[in-house]
Amino acid sequence: MPRSGRMVVEPFAAKTAREIHGFKTEAWTLKGAQILNILYEIDNDTVEDLVPVTMRPAIPAYAMFNVTRYPESPVGPFTIAEVRIGSRAGVRPRGFVLRSYVSSEAAASELAKRWGYPTVAGQVYLRAFHDRVVANITTAEGRKALDMEMIDREFISGNDVQYVSSMHLARNKEDGKLVVVQVDPAWTFHKAERGRPHIISLDSQSWGAGDMLRADYPISASFTTCDVTLSKIRYYCDPAQDAFRGTTAVAA
Amino acid sequence: MKFGIFYEISVPRPWDREKEKKVFDNCLEQVQLADELGFDSVWCVEHHFLEEYSHCSAPEIFLTACAMKTKKMRVGHGIVICVPEFNHPIKIAERTATMDIISGGRLEVGTGRSATWNELGGFRANPDDTKKTWDEFVRCLPKMWTQERFGYQGRSWSMPVRAIIPKPYQKPHPPMWVAVTSPGTEIDAAERGLGALGITFGSFKEQEDKVKVYHNIIKNCEPVGSFVNDKVSTVNFLFTHEDTETGNKVGRRLLGTFNFLAAQLLAAREAVPTRSYPSLGLLPALREEAAGPGDEAGVPEGIAIGDPERVLRACKKWEACGVDRVNFLLNALETVPQEQVLNSLRVFAKHVMPHFQDSSSQVAAAGGGGR
Repeated sequence: MPRSGRMVVEPFAAKTAREIHGFKTEAWTLKGAQILNILYEIDNDTVEDLVPVTMRPAIPAYAMFNVTRYPESPVGPFTIAEVRIGSRAGVRPRGFVLRSYVSSEAAASELAKRWGYPTVAGQVYLRAFHDRVVANITTAEGRKALDMEMIDREFISGNDVQYVSSMHLARNKEDGKLVVVQVDPAWTFHKAERGRPHIISLDSQSWGAGDMLRADYPISASFTTCDVTLSKIRYYCDPAQDAFRGTTAVAA
Repeated sequence: MKFGIFYEISVPRPWDREKEKKVFDNCLEQVQLADELGFDSVWCVEHHFLEEYSHCSAPEIFLTACAMKTKKMRVGHGIVICVPEFNHPIKIAERTATMDIISGGRLEVGTGRSATWNELGGFRANPDDTKKTWDEFVRCLPKMWTQERFGYQGRSWSMPVRAIIPKPYQKPHPPMWVAVTSPGTEIDAAERGLGALGITFGSFKEQEDKVKVYHNIIKNCEPVGSFVNDKVSTVNFLFTHEDTETGNKVGRRLLGTFNFLAAQLLAAREAVPTRSYPSLGLLPALREEAAGPGDEAGVPEGIAIGDPERVLRACKKWEACGVDRVNFLLNALETVPQEQVLNSLRVFAKHVMPHFQDSSSQVAAAGGGGR
């Protein structure tokens, strides 16, 4: 039968999940964001342990290594780095976020409270040079979590870029239960580029993935400038059931 | 309108050797019955690495077996991938000519370019180039089939002058088609005088509009082959049963299974930022169609699922849209037991087919190619 997620969620959540304060946050529109998004195929043998039963890993197994700088937000500028496992919720393409490193404590706290992002403070560096765009992440403990770059920048149209919505584990403050929250941002592109993806180093442990996360084979890289609307939460799921059965719609 | 059957060859895990053999055997049994019942053609895909969804990586072998087991049915590549990392054009010309000879002139050659990262990445093909290589291949193939000797210096491939042999049995050559999944490919098809394997559905209105555009453009086409194939075919699901509830229930299970399986694959558009793939391609299109708004039976409009009356209504609508042939997908992951698949074909042939022009007489008139 088709492959499905089989993550043991409690131990993973104990390392990564944050508390979400209800599901009624208002949307944030964040202008002028810069997004470096690198896709790599990852280890096919371990991917099922990196997504909850709610979701199914894509075939072939792949991850999105995403670093976004928001020059302005209600809590000031911040940069966020995520690893998302390419998955499906029901039949929809989604990225399951393992962990979110955020450059500002205030942003980390707000993103967790409002959307349940699995945030943790860290140094997140993103910089564009003429020949490449570079990003790296260092944990609060000084571990290098990720070092990556997009080489040979080439302009494309924003229409050529397709991002997918993300989902992540969070603990509902109200009842203490774990939920998988879906965030489906809207992107308005101002500029888009692509290039050659290159992951220089990846520390699986820093993403809560034990030794299971390995970047195996490069797929693509894009770098965009866009306005991002972090929408209101529309759905959350039971991490113990597949999305067809365990999805709850949040009343508008 | 004509009716064909269409294979992805979907094999559920665990893949022991008996499982794969059983699925292939089941498909061949269906093909044999479909031939006896008057279905016009059998088509199969070329897919690679699409776990469970499609184990049809050597369609030329499967189609040759189909040709051996049938008497009248046409056998169709739906499609052969025209990307050099997958298939060298000389090999395509040689293989298809041989198949045409062995089948006694019953081959149809659908062309296309693949739409998944699973495949493009697996063969290390550049998604930016596939439309260009497809164009180059379809212009070369008819010449390789018809010229005694052929030489070429092109963009994606070249060769000195050689005799490419054998030559097809059909003269001047088999009918050619292109898979129409990305927006605008129906125009590519029409401009080149190629039949449109319109394997995305869209709404009836959308399909009707596309067919009109296609027919308008093809009147003034510059054919890549020696003749124009101006036919439009589409893909549908088929499960029908005299008992309405069984027809709906089993049919919905087929749709749901296909939908679930196809969704797991990685579309080129999802993986790579490129203008070469403006849409997600066949799989998501079929998925959306299968998941579209349903009628009171929960079956999306236009899907040939349910009792024969409902299936007849769906087929009549497609006919009214200007579609010349519907090719039916019969199973996914063996979710429909073989006996029920065979029964569904019989019920369709008995209750639905007679409401359309006799398919056996159409075989002789089809396409072109001087059969």
